[in-house]
Amino acid sequence: MYEARLWLSKRGRIRFVSHLDMFRLMTRAVRRAHIPLWYTEGFNPHPYLSFLLALSLGVEGEREPIDIRIVDDAFPMENIAPSLNAVLPEGLVVEAVTSPVMKPAVITWGEYEVTYDKAEIPAEDLTRALESGALETEKSGKSGGRKIMKKVGVSEHIRSWSLSETPDRLLLTVVLPAGSVLNLNPQQLTDAVNAYLGTCAVVLRAVRIRLLDANGAEFR
Amino acid sequence: MDERIERLLPTVQKPARYTGGELNQVMKDKNAVDIRYAFCFPDSYEIGMSHLGIKILYAIANERPDTWCERVFAPWPDMEQKMREQGIPLYALESGDPIKDFDFIGFTLQYELCYTNVLNMLDLAGLPVRAADRKGLAPIVMGGGPCACNPEPIADYFDLFSLGEGEEVNSEIMDLYAVHKKRGSTKEEFLREAAKIPGVYVPSLYDITYNADGTVQAITPKETAPAVVTKRIIRDLDKVYYPKTFVVPFIDVVHDRVTHEIFRGCIRGCRFCQACFLNRPIREKSPETINEQCKGLVEATGYDEISLCSLSSSDYTHIEELLNLLLDWTPKEQVNVALPSLRVDNFSDELLQKLKSVRRSGLTFAPEAGTQRMRDVINKNVTEEEMLETANIAFAGGYSAVKLYFMLGLPTETDEDVAAIGTLAKKVVDAYYQNPDKPKGRGVNVGVSASSFVPKPFTPFQWEPQATPEELEHKQRHLKETLPSRKINVSFHDIKTSFLEGVFARGDRRLCAVVEEAWRRGCKFDSWGEYYRYDTWMEVFSDLGLDPAFYANRRRSYEETLPWDHISYGVPKKFLMRESEKAKRAETTANCREKCAGCGANKLNGGHCDV
Repeated sequence: MYEARLWLSKRGRIRFVSHLDMFRLMTRAVRRAHIPLWYTEGFNPHPYLSFLLALSLGVEGEREPIDIRIVDDAFPMENIAPSLNAVLPEGLVVEAVTSPVMKPAVITWGEYEVTYDKAEIPAEDLTRALESGALETEKSGKSGGRKIMKKVGVSEHIRSWSLSETPDRLLLTVVLPAGSVLNLNPQQLTDAVNAYLGTCAVVLRAVRIRLLDANGAEFR
Repeated sequence: MDERIERLLPTVQKPARYTGGELNQVMKDKNAVDIRYAFCFPDSYEIGMSHLGIKILYAIANERPDTWCERVFAPWPDMEQKMREQGIPLYALESGDPIKDFDFIGFTLQYELCYTNVLNMLDLAGLPVRAADRKGLAPIVMGGGPCACNPEPIADYFDLFSLGEGEEVNSEIMDLYAVHKKRGSTKEEFLREAAKIPGVYVPSLYDITYNADGTVQAITPKETAPAVVTKRIIRDLDKVYYPKTFVVPFIDVVHDRVTHEIFRGCIRGCRFCQACFLNRPIREKSPETINEQCKGLVEATGYDEISLCSLSSSDYTHIEELLNLLLDWTPKEQVNVALPSLRVDNFSDELLQKLKSVRRSGLTFAPEAGTQRMRDVINKNVTEEEMLETANIAFAGGYSAVKLYFMLGLPTETDEDVAAIGTLAKKVVDAYYQNPDKPKGRGVNVGVSASSFVPKPFTPFQWEPQATPEELEHKQRHLKETLPSRKINVSFHDIKTSFLEGVFARGDRRLCAVVEEAWRRGCKFDSWGEYYRYDTWMEVFSDLGLDPAFYANRRRSYEETLPWDHISYGVPKKFLMRESEKAKRAETTANCREKCAGCGANKLNGGHCDV
């Protein structure tokens, strides 16, 4: 038995498939690809497949890690990607398969590319919002057993950002918290920006480019 | 995909319903085909994607090089509202193209309460809802499925209906259409020819006249239309095309598995059951064919469950052979086999052992009625002893949850019959506690589900009045009040929903106006409790001067011309009358395997029936 880490890209309309549904989809794909996956033991065995970090509904991904265990050592790692790619639906591609280097728990940051319509939010406004240090958003939480909306600071959690432009689009590259401790997704960032500016900019496209550890090194 | 759609998808529930792109969907070059076919299911994606018929007909249409068939479902109201706000017309999932310009728009009609969704989908597509207002040849709006057996309440909205099994006739319709499209025919020219195809019903070619009392006076065919349209059947299920792949949905749908039909028809002849009388004669598929096709489907989809479907699975003559074939390979592939629709009277110990080796869920039995007299009236040939015996086998086999299905409002039903439902359920509870082999340390869970009987066309009860909402309320209350044990959980169907179902099941063409007006006043998704607007429906009936009780609660005489008398499903009215009379005398009819009752449906299959 050996462990393998799949690097999956998720592009196009399949970005609307939720995390839970992705799990079922990948389970079926490994069955169809006849990859000798390790099955959990117990009353209702199912293939072991671990998405290391959920991707929000509607966000595309360039390199999303999934850990699997192959029971048959004779099944070569280089066969995994071609077998899976032959059976995956449009928009999903296993870009690479590697041996895991880092532990999933070290994931701390996600680097995103977010596209806006300049007509909805001009570059100088977005810059002003991001430089304000006053961005915050609401998250549902609990206090004394009751559901409440908690204010969560956003500005202090942005590790870095940069902005580029095309004639009609704004392209924001931003590193946001991702992992087991704290998560912020591009929609929450956008909600915070909209709340600060009083705008209603829509996220035209959001892509998670890669995951980083606490020091900003690429997760491998 | 239209950028406007992409922008609104993040704002609706379950956007993956509307994206297409699922595994095994069929993509084609639209410039390389002659016929674009929109296969519409007038309910949510989750319901529609669970339906086997759509999978079969989708695959068959796409086998044709000249045709691209795509799927369309009713957008949930949140999505519909946004589509209307943005001016986005109803589109097909595969291509994302508006269906307005397609050649065919085909609806499968599985239940009466989907009719407003049909109109809503046509309107959302940007088409006039009435067939007479759609002037060009394309799109041809057609309907099929069980409700096509009496399509009169929606006849004005369709160009044609395909009666019975669609595998062959759909292709014949498309062949004819291809010729007429090339020729530049009008819709009327095409329909005149289509009416000559056996199994095709063109409603505009029939004049309906009414008597002063509101009953149908005459149904008069015009031009090329036959006096009676007879449903189509597939003669040999081993030779008929079965899909090699299923589209595998991204989101969790109701039936998310490989489904395989093992036979068509039913030998039982329960008098309330429309499916039994619509799907005759019996035709079985061979275990080898089923097994091979299941293997292929598991391979193509990656599903881990196979469900064998039919009207009564344990009546399939090769059931043990088939389970042996399947259980030979499914366990090592981690595939489960499910066998719904089992009968209580031939549920053997061996069958249970086989089922035990696959995944176990609750057991469901359908005694349908509480007393033997009532079961004899409906010809549900199951005795209490058989039921309790089966329950005991199941309890000894480790089951501790049993669900029992009953109907309220059956013809001749009395309060004693209703109370007997509780008595019977109590006997099942007692059987559990008296069973020495019952699962240790677990209590029994007996669920009683009581639906309301709706008389349906082409059954021996087609002349019977449906119990009124008041009567049904009384029966539900009586059942609850006489319930002898607290271990029994009772659930009921919504009476107001059953009432509307009853109206449309045996309605005539005048109800078209009611469907349209109710839809215009906002009715849709009527089978979903949260959207069903009973009061609006009743207002519409009243405003249009039609009495729903005339359709639901009136006893018809054998002499009356029924709105579906020009349609035949192979079982003549004479036979249904004979069964109706036997019901009144509480006399049973043996099942087809014991003794052929002479229903006449074998004529559809050259005199052959696989009993």
